[in-house]
Parts: sequence; C-alpha cells; structure tokens
Amino acid sequence: MTGAVPSIALVGNPNAGKSSLFNALTGARQKIANYPGVTVERKAGHASFADGRPIALIDLPGTYSLTPASLDEAVTRDVILGKQAGETRPDALIIVLDAANLDNHLCFALELLALDLPTVIALNMLDLAQRDGLTLDAERISKELGVPVVPTVAVRKRGLPELLAAVDGAIRSHQPRTASAAPVNDAALHQRARAIARAAIVSETPVRRWTQRVDNVVLHPIAGMIILLALMFLMFQAVYAWAGPPADALEGLVGTMQGWVVDNIPQNFLRDLVVEGLLAGVGAVVVFLPQILILFLFILLLEASGYMTRAAFLMDGLMGKVGLSGRGFIPLLSSFACAVPGIMATRAIPDEKDRLTTILIAPLMTCSARLPVYALIIAAFIPNRGVAGTGVGLQGLVLFGLYLAGIVGALLVAWALRRTVAKGVNAGFMMEMPRYQMPQWRDIALGLWQRAWIFLRRAGTIIAMTTVVLWLLLTFPQAPEGESQVEYSVAGRIASGLEVVVKPIGFNHDIALALIPAMAAREVAVSAMATANAIDADGDEDAMAQSLGERLQGKWSLATALAFLAWFVFAPQCISTIAITRRETNGWKWPMFMVGYLFLLAYAAAGITYWTAVAFGLG
Amino acid sequence: MIALLENSLDRAPLGVAVRIARIDWNAMSEDEGRRLREFGLMEGCEITPLHRGSIFSRDPLALTIGRMKVIIRSSQAAAIAVEAVAA
Repeated sequence: MTGAVPSIALVGNPNAGKSSLFNALTGARQKIANYPGVTVERKAGHASFADGRPIALIDLPGTYSLTPASLDEAVTRDVILGKQAGETRPDALIIVLDAANLDNHLCFALELLALDLPTVIALNMLDLAQRDGLTLDAERISKELGVPVVPTVAVRKRGLPELLAAVDGAIRSHQPRTASAAPVNDAALHQRARAIARAAIVSETPVRRWTQRVDNVVLHPIAGMIILLALMFLMFQAVYAWAGPPADALEGLVGTMQGWVVDNIPQNFLRDLVVEGLLAGVGAVVVFLPQILILFLFILLLEASGYMTRAAFLMDGLMGKVGLSGRGFIPLLSSFACAVPGIMATRAIPDEKDRLTTILIAPLMTCSARLPVYALIIAAFIPNRGVAGTGVGLQGLVLFGLYLAGIVGALLVAWALRRTVAKGVNAGFMMEMPRYQMPQWRDIALGLWQRAWIFLRRAGTIIAMTTVVLWLLLTFPQAPEGESQVEYSVAGRIASGLEVVVKPIGFNHDIALALIPAMAAREVAVSAMATANAIDADGDEDAMAQSLGERLQGKWSLATALAFLAWFVFAPQCISTIAITRRETNGWKWPMFMVGYLFLLAYAAAGITYWTAVAFGLG
Repeated sequence: MIALLENSLDRAPLGVAVRIARIDWNAMSEDEGRRLREFGLMEGCEITPLHRGSIFSRDPLALTIGRMKVIIRSSQAAAIAVEAVAA
C-alpha cells in the first residue's frame, strides 16, 4: 500500500442504506458504467481522507451472502474475492449495516469478516433505529467482531469523517490473522449474529409503529390497489400537465436558435443542414426532456420512499397469473420511462425464465420515446373535446387507450411466452420490504441528473446523426424544377420501395419515409417528418407557417393516423433496446425473436385498426 | 401424512405470532431455500404473517421476522409448518 490510491468497497445487505452512504461520501464525483462483459451497473466515485489523500470508492450491489442468487449479487462476490475481470480486489471493505436490523445484517458481516480484509463497519441508519425505540452500543459490536464500528446517518452526513479515519487506520494497522472462520452452517451463523445483536442492544422501548398502520392501508387487498392506481394516474397526469410550460420554453429556444442561424448566416448548404437537419430533428426530440424527468422523478421517489416494493407486493398476484412475479413490476414501470433502464433492472429477477419474459415484454410498455409520436398524431387528428357528459378529454382518453393496449398486449404475450419459449416452473417471489423513509433530495437530484445526461447524450449522438444522414438523403439528388424534393431524393425512393409493403395497412409515403430512420429510435419518426416537412416547405411561405400537425392533417386520413398509432404500440423501433437485450441475454437469438414478434404484432395491429376504421367510413 | 397435524403458514391467521415448527426444504428449490434462510426463516424462529394477496390472488404473503418484513409466495408458505407461540 505505497503510493497507489487505495480502493475501498461498500458492501452490505439490500436496504442497508448503502447507496445513500456512497452518495454522501462521494457527492457528485461518481462514474456509472458497466462491469466489462456484464450489464451490472458499476458505481465508482472519489473521496479523500482528512489529510487530502485520495481514495477510490466502489458501491457494490446489495446481497445477503457470498452465495449469489442473481447476476448483480454474483458481481459483489467476484469483486470482493478479486475474481471480477478487469477489477482489482478492494484494499478495504466498509460493511454497511442497518442498525435496526442487526440480527439479519450481521450474518453477511460475519461471512465478510472471515475473508480477513481490512474492514470497518458502518452502523448506518441509526436515526431510523432510534425511531423504532432502539438504543445500541457500537463499542460492544466492535469488541465482539474485532473491527472498528462507526455509527453513521448517511442521509445527514453524520459520522462520515470518523468512518474514513477508521478505514485509514484499518488499512495501516491490518495484520493478516489466521482465519477466524465464519460459523459453518446457516443456523450457527444466525445464532451467532443474533447473540451479537442482543448483546449490542442497550435498551429497546416498544414504540407505536405508525409504519405498520400505514402498511395496513397501503397493502390492503382493495384499498391498497386503489391507492396504487391513483398514484399511477397522478404520475401519468403529471407527466402531461407539468411538462407543458418547460417543453414550450425548450421549443421556443430551438425556434430562436433556428431564427438566429437563418438571420446571421448566408444561405448555403451548411446552413440548411443545421436548420433543417440538426435543429429541426434534434429539437423535436429534446423538447421531451421535461416529460422524461417528471416520470423518472416519480419512479425515483417511489423507490426511495420504500413504496415500490409495496407496489410489487400488490401486483404480484396479477403478474403471477401470467407467469411473472412482482419483481418484474419495477423493471416494467421503469420501462414506461425507457425500456433500456427497465431491461437493465431485470437483473434483480433471480428466475431466468421469469427474467427473459420480463425483458421480452418490456418494449411493450409505452416508453417516453413514443410520446413525441403519440402527442403529434393525437393533437393533429383527435378533436380536443370532452367525452359526452364526463369531463374526461377525448385526447387524453385515446392516449390512455394506447398505454392500456401496450399493457394488455404485454400480459397476453407474457402468458403465451411462459407456455412456449420461456416455459418453466412458476417463478417465486421473495423480497425484503424496506422500511418507509423520507426520500433525500440529494439522492433524487443525483439520479435525475444522471438520467437527463443519458437522454441528452443520446439526443446528441444517435439522434443527431440519424437526422443529419436523413437530411443528406432527402436533399440529394436535387430535384428538377416542379418536382417534389422529398419524392425525388434518395430517401424518397427508398421509402417508395417500403411503401409497397406497408400500403395494405394504410401507410402512406410520409410514414414509409419516417419508419426507416425511426429504426434508430421511435422519436426520430417525428424529427424525420419534421425534417422532410422543412425541406418540402422550403421557400413556400404558407407551408412554412403551418405546423407539422397541420400539414399532416391535410395529407392523411383518420384511418391512416389511427393505424400509425397502433403500429407504434408494438413496433420495436429502438436500437438501444435491441442492443441492451443482446447484452442482457448474451446473444442475438432473443433480440431477433423480440424484433420479429413485435413487428408481426405491429403490422397486424395497424392493419386491423386501418381496415376497421375504413369499414366505419373513416378512410 | 404429518401435514394433517400441522398448520401450514399458508393458512395461518394474519396478525398472530407463530413459531416455525418445520420447513420442508424438499418442496422448494435450493435457491429458494437458501434465500429463506438468509431472511432468517428457520426452524424455531418466531414470525408474524401480516398481509396476504390482493384482489387478484391470495399470493403473496408478507410477514415480519425480527425487525424485518419479507415477502414470500404461498407455495413456499405451504411448505412451512407453524405452531402457536406459548403465551
């Protein structure tokens, strides 16, 4: 240990407050990536000792023992044992214990201590233990275990300097012992853990547990379900209601930038590329940032407060009927924001077939990338009026219907998959229910910032690139006078080829043109139409003044618009989702299967919608 | 058939503390069994079943063990025999 920056791993049970402690120690100095070869998130960050020497911290996934039950738990074991490829074995461990749950958390601590690495114990969430009427003797635990024990309250940054000082001391003074083996079997381990916990408890005052009274309502078979539905309803309402003003502001900003470029740069190839390609395309997507942030805000709050596991409890019954488990609820709910983090969250599902099914249906949850498409088409084609005598808006109802179609579709697909390609015994559902906690604004803000950054980076790379490529394909070759540029261009000709295939389900040339670049990401369908529209309208004052929605209104029938909506309920048009599925399932088999079945469903759904609508005279 | 003499946790009334008399480890997979033990569910320990299912189904079951609240499926609860805690 000379010169090099010591690496210290935070390890502990789920719900020990490990991530909060990590955030408190590192602040925003974090780097989130994946472990090479696996998609388990690697959270690393920097901190420093009191005298300024730097340390590298790594936050390991929570687990109950060194015998893993899921992918992320395996990473924890491998890192600690120094077997994780590309990762050096940590120089020291900080074992994070929930002070109010010592009997259980000490089991894993005993197992870790037997490894004989320099170790310090953080007796965390001491405030919650006090709320439960517990007074603890940290010294006593330290004496029993033979390592320093530092009381901490991560969310209030209490005990952090002491913790780091103890780690420093542990590394300096560490001398390998002859193994003080952990108890040999589970029962003996638990007995020892319970004995230490009992010795450490100075006093235990029974307090009235308001949390239990909350659970009596929240987990009530009927009342609990109503609360869950109400929360979901509030969440989706907020996504639309709150996002309006900031989205308008962003849209205005893009318009101003376009205007500035047009006014200050003489007309040339580059200016058109920037205004019609880059700004029109990327701008059309970036305006959805507020909606995505609001959705993630809700998900992060539900998770941090401890409610998410309650929701999983309530949904397990329904999900069990189609062969899934309540564990899948969290990934699927996240998929309403974006299927990529949703699919990544499935790694906590221990049963392989359960996990595979959850991955395969995750793209059916209406992700935020569909919002631009839905919002555009609904605003253009669905009248903005109430449904006779109810006070419910027709536009909102159609949107709700689209979400519902995705959910019902997902349940049916899961049911079918569990009886065919993902056949297996009904998966179990075993989970610890975390205690209720006040979410910490620092943790929430950090989570939101990380999500916003991922979205903006995507807009700046994949989406910017596809729009520019599309713009080039739409601009060349130059159409002779009197011919439509969009029709004449390379992209227009490719679209004409695709049009033959999608014509039976009511799709026109516009849609065929938008579908190809939208393979990169669904929202590109909107930016593609915006770019094509901008080129088409080039120089025509009247057309320039019209919004994209108004232009489409003039060109599409209602049946076509509805078929287009139905298509996007199912269509797997997202490179990131396909890529993450390949990584999560270790091969091309399942992503190919996913893309295939979803395109079939999309084609069928759009076709049925179109033919039905035409039959009702809406063609 | 000893099951007749025992009450399984699956059928135990909610809100009443019981002691685990026996667990049929063969009725579940090795992973399930290990996770149960990691939660601390072992012969002799005291638990209180608290919440069961939703409008959709009788599954799952939430119970307290020590200061922890955990969720299991009724198929696992059916393999756990419980007895009354002496008052």
